[in-house]
This record gives sequence, C-alpha cells and structure tokens, in this order.
Amino acid sequence: MAQRSTKADLSPWDVVALETFCTPERTQSSQWRRSWRAATSWMGGKGASERQAKQEHELRALPEVKLAHWAPEIDWSPAASALGEILECHEEAPVVLFISPPHGGHREVVSQWAEHQGVDCLPAPTVGELAEGSLEWVECLALQHRWAVPALERHFLRNTQGLQGVRELLERALSSRLGQGVIGCDSWTYAYLKHAVGLEGVPVFVLQALEGEQLAHYFAHLPKGGDCPTVYSTRTGKKILSNGGENQQKDVHKELQRLAAHCRGHLGIAWHYWRERLREPTESDAADRSSERSQASPESLWLLDVLAEAELPEDTGDVATLLLHTLLIHGGLEDHALDLVLPFSNHEALNARLSLARQGILSCHQQRWQVAPLSYASVRQLLESRHYLVDPL
Amino acid sequence: MDEQMQYAKLFNDIDSQALITLGVILASTILLTFASQHMLTWLANRLHGPIRFRVFALVPLTRLVILITALAIAVPIVIEPSLRNMVTLLGAIGLAIGFALKEYVSSLIAGVVSAVELPYRPGDWVKIDDTYGEVKHVGMRTVSVQTPDDDLVAVPHLKLWDTAIYNANNGGVSLQCVASFYLQPEHEAGWVRKALRDVALTSAYLKFDKPIIVIAEEKPWGTHYRIRAYPVDPRQQFLFITDLTVRGKQVLSAAGVMPALLPPDAALDSQGTAG
Repeated sequence: MAQRSTKADLSPWDVVALETFCTPERTQSSQWRRSWRAATSWMGGKGASERQAKQEHELRALPEVKLAHWAPEIDWSPAASALGEILECHEEAPVVLFISPPHGGHREVVSQWAEHQGVDCLPAPTVGELAEGSLEWVECLALQHRWAVPALERHFLRNTQGLQGVRELLERALSSRLGQGVIGCDSWTYAYLKHAVGLEGVPVFVLQALEGEQLAHYFAHLPKGGDCPTVYSTRTGKKILSNGGENQQKDVHKELQRLAAHCRGHLGIAWHYWRERLREPTESDAADRSSERSQASPESLWLLDVLAEAELPEDTGDVATLLLHTLLIHGGLEDHALDLVLPFSNHEALNARLSLARQGILSCHQQRWQVAPLSYASVRQLLESRHYLVDPL
Repeated sequence: MDEQMQYAKLFNDIDSQALITLGVILASTILLTFASQHMLTWLANRLHGPIRFRVFALVPLTRLVILITALAIAVPIVIEPSLRNMVTLLGAIGLAIGFALKEYVSSLIAGVVSAVELPYRPGDWVKIDDTYGEVKHVGMRTVSVQTPDDDLVAVPHLKLWDTAIYNANNGGVSLQCVASFYLQPEHEAGWVRKALRDVALTSAYLKFDKPIIVIAEEKPWGTHYRIRAYPVDPRQQFLFITDLTVRGKQVLSAAGVMPALLPPDAALDSQGTAG
C-alpha cells in the first residue's frame, strides 16, 4: 500500500472507474471478526461481547445541537465536482453511471452535479405507473443535450411489468436517443440491472474506498469552525482523533481503519457510524475525571465499538433474507410496494418488515424502508454467504 | 479332543477384564457415533451454502471411522489375530451371511461404499426409484429420504448396486428447477419466450450466476414451454417453481395467451391410464 502523505491523497472525493475500486485494508479480517462475534453471541448471548475499556453506562448520546456541530451532514459537492471532472473525459459516452452503496450519496452527488451544470433531472415514475407497466413516462422524454437521473432505483420494480420502463429508458439512453446522460444508481440496483437489462460497456464510476487515515482526516475537518474534538475509543481507551499533528500517527488510525474496513470504505456509512456512535461522558463522570484530564480538551468524546449492535443473527430465516435483499435491490421500498415484488402476501411481508424494524435492522427515510446504515455490513455479509446477488462494492 | 483345543485357541480367554474392556469399547462406540451424528447434523442444519454440504458429508464418514477403530481395538481382545484364526472366523461369518443375512450385509457393505463414493450425502436432493426428496440421514444400512410430502422413506443402500440414483445438486448449492407451461398453438412464441425469461429474472429466489433457459417444444396439442433456472438455495426449489408458475400464468393470461386443453378423447385416455 502506497503511503498517503499529501492533502490531496487524503481527500475522500476520489472518483474512479468501478474496475479500480478496492476495499480498504483489513476488510477481510473485519468480516472474520464479525462472523466470530456472531458465533460467540449466538452461543454465549450478547454478554459474550469483547471487553470494553469504557462502559457504555458511563457515557451518554450527544444532543442534536452538539451532533450538528461535531458531525454535520456530509457536503457532497466536492464529489459532484470530482464527478464533473471525470465526465469531461467521457463526453462521447451516451450514458455514464455513478454508483454508490445504500447511504453512499449517489443521489446527492448527481443532483448537485446536475444543478451546478444546469442540467435537467428526469422525473421518476410513480409506483403505480411501474406496477402497471406503463411506458408513458419514458415515451414523453424528449431529446436533450444533457440530462441526469439521480436515482435509477426509483425507475423500476422487480416484476415483469416494472422492468419494462427501465429497459426502454436504458435502451433509448444507450442508443443516444435522449442525448447525453448521467445516471446515479444504487450499487445493488446496478448489480441487478446488469443481469436483468444488460449494461455492458457503460462507463461506471464510484467513490474510491477510504482508508482509516482518510477517515481521520475527514472527521477531523468535519466540525463546523474547524475545531477537531478529541475522541477516544471505548474498546481500547486510546485516542483515535485529536486536534493537531497526532492524527498522522499510525496507531491513532488503527481504530478508524477498523471502522473503514467495517464500512468497506464507504464514507456515507462511516459517517452514520460516527454520528450515531459518538458519546460524551455523563456529568458525574466528567466531574470525576476533570482533574485527570485537566490538560485535555474540554470536548472529549468517545466512539463506541462499531460491532456492538444491530447485527443480523446467523439464523435469520428465508422470509427476512428475501425481504432484505429486495429492499437493497430497490434502494428501499414503501410498505405498499412490498407485495408487488415479493412472493408472499402483503401481510407476511409487513410482519417481516416490522420484525426487522424492531430489531433496528431497517430504518425509514421518506416513507421508504431500507437497511439501516449500522446494519448494512452484516446484512451484506449474510446475503453474500447465502449466495444472493450482491453489489460490486 | 484336538479339535476342541483348536477352537479354544481361536478365541482368547475372556476374563472379567476383557469383558469390561469390550463393554467400554461398545459403550464408547455407541456414544461417539450418537454424539458425532447429532452434533454434525445439528451444525450442518445451521449452516448455509457449500459448507453445509461438506459438514453433512462428514456424517457417514465419521461413523465409518469410529466403527473401524472400534473393531480394530475389539477384535484382538476376542480372538488371536493370526492368519489361521482370521481365515477360520471369516469363513464362518461368510457361511452365515451366505445363508441368512445376505441382503442385510450387502446393504451394510453398500453403506460403506456410499460413504466413500458419495452418491448421496445428507442435504442432497435425490431420486431413487420413485422416491424423490432430501437426504436427511445416511445410516449403516439405509438412507433416509424426506419427500416433499413430508414422508420419511428408508431406502436400503442395496439399491446402489443395480438402481440409477439421480442426484439433483450433488453436494452443491445449484439445483436446476423446471416450470412447465402448456399453451395453445396460436400465440407469438417469441414474445412468450421473452416474457417467461422475465418471469424468471424477476423471481426473488433466482440464483443469478447460473443461466436461465426457456425451452419451447411443439406438441400435437399445442406448445410446451419450460423455464429452466436455479434457486439460491436447493431447499427453495418448490417455492421457486411455484413462484415461476403463478407469475408466469398471470403474465400469459394478461396477454391473452390461452393454456392448452387436452381434447376430450385424449383426456379420457389419460383418465383411463391413471385409473
């Protein structure tokens, strides 16, 4: 692995061709660790988890105001600019795809690129139109100089009717009948449509996976005002992020490398972990330790172990597995669309969805249920181990 | 008197210590066999993919190893393992088998062969004569096959010698399923073929790294279409075929493609055959 040293090398906005995407170091060992942890908690219960240097009950979640300060929303505009630079080299291609995993930002990146370039975004059809197999929404698309689709996963349903529209759209797009287009697409949808429709020869770009050092650099510069918090790991008790040059030390990056490997290098998912697993000491604990840490930054935060919750059990049944796979392929679905794409009744699908939502495996965003960011890694690993079609990222 | 002495030499003196040792060997063999069979089956049932079948394949092999080890320890305690003694003993056993236990022992020997050649392993989907189902247990004398109707059929290993054994997945996770559609001859065959391929492509159970093939065959009564595709897990085969059939019928019916119906005389003929 080449040493990353310059600021440019630490940038998380490296848009690369899909073929050159590579997962971060220690991704495989992260998967083994996850399997081992699942096996031990299966045999010994949740109590068999690893020893913690700092107990969770000594910490509390950050209030929204602090979260908005320390971990504000990701600004995807640098990725949109990086995509724009890449697109300048592919002006002859009728369609360019930009894919990312769930919560990976492809929608935001393509939308922002389109807004910046003054390019129209094609409207997505309704679920009703897709379920009927209507092609009107494709037929009314006119030839434009440039166009964009921020989320291709909104343009299909996995049934015989729901496939016709996206097939027609891609056929027109690939034969240049719509002009030059940029399509944002969920990586799972891409994997499915590659088989179901065929996307051979289309240039596909992704954000390169991040290593721990890049995550450290990103999180250090994330807070508003540029003041980096000092963050400790509850697992080891060691510092994983701090203000100043210490972030360059290799041992400081070790915990964030674990996080990067666990998230397969995807910034969107790592950011969710960062935001949801950051804790601050309770007031009594802070008072006890004020003398010990008088030299330290007043804003000392803790990061909980990345594997501690929302993990999918190994004995997950077929109904739940099929539901999870279906949600991933569609980039999330509304409840009323579940029975259109699953081989069970709406009642069975809803029961499975409710059960997974109760376990924290699913989360709802804009009325669409999707695999929660903190469960994504274990869900992907489970589906891969059971030979389901998985995404290329 | 000499003959009596010779037979006495065949067997060692069985004192109380030898009896205790034999008892311990017997108890350990039963215990180890029971534990290994149940542990490995329990473990395999909780695994998925190729590793499940590898663990299942260990079940009969482990039992065979335990039995051979037990015999190797027990036989020298009972008889003096000289060439003459072995020939005498094997001759007597052969005579008994030849008269009374031929079929039984043939099944036992076939069981040993099945543990080595692996024509079926627990987890495989096999057809032996008219029995189709999942191999649940490979025993010493029989293989237990659970049919889709939930009947457990014990098939003697003896069948191995003279019966064709159809293994649908052969220790792997790929099992081809076939969904049939019988259509009247007047329809656009190219459209039907594409529609049936889409039916397979949109099934939640589909295994994507295997091909989907739609076959059309012209018959006197119409056209017989078959979708050949693979489910993600062999255990999903009936759900997969049902899904393909139900959705295939929906698509064809919505497009006005009529199913083929047998002419009345052919229907009567088929009823007569069934009766």
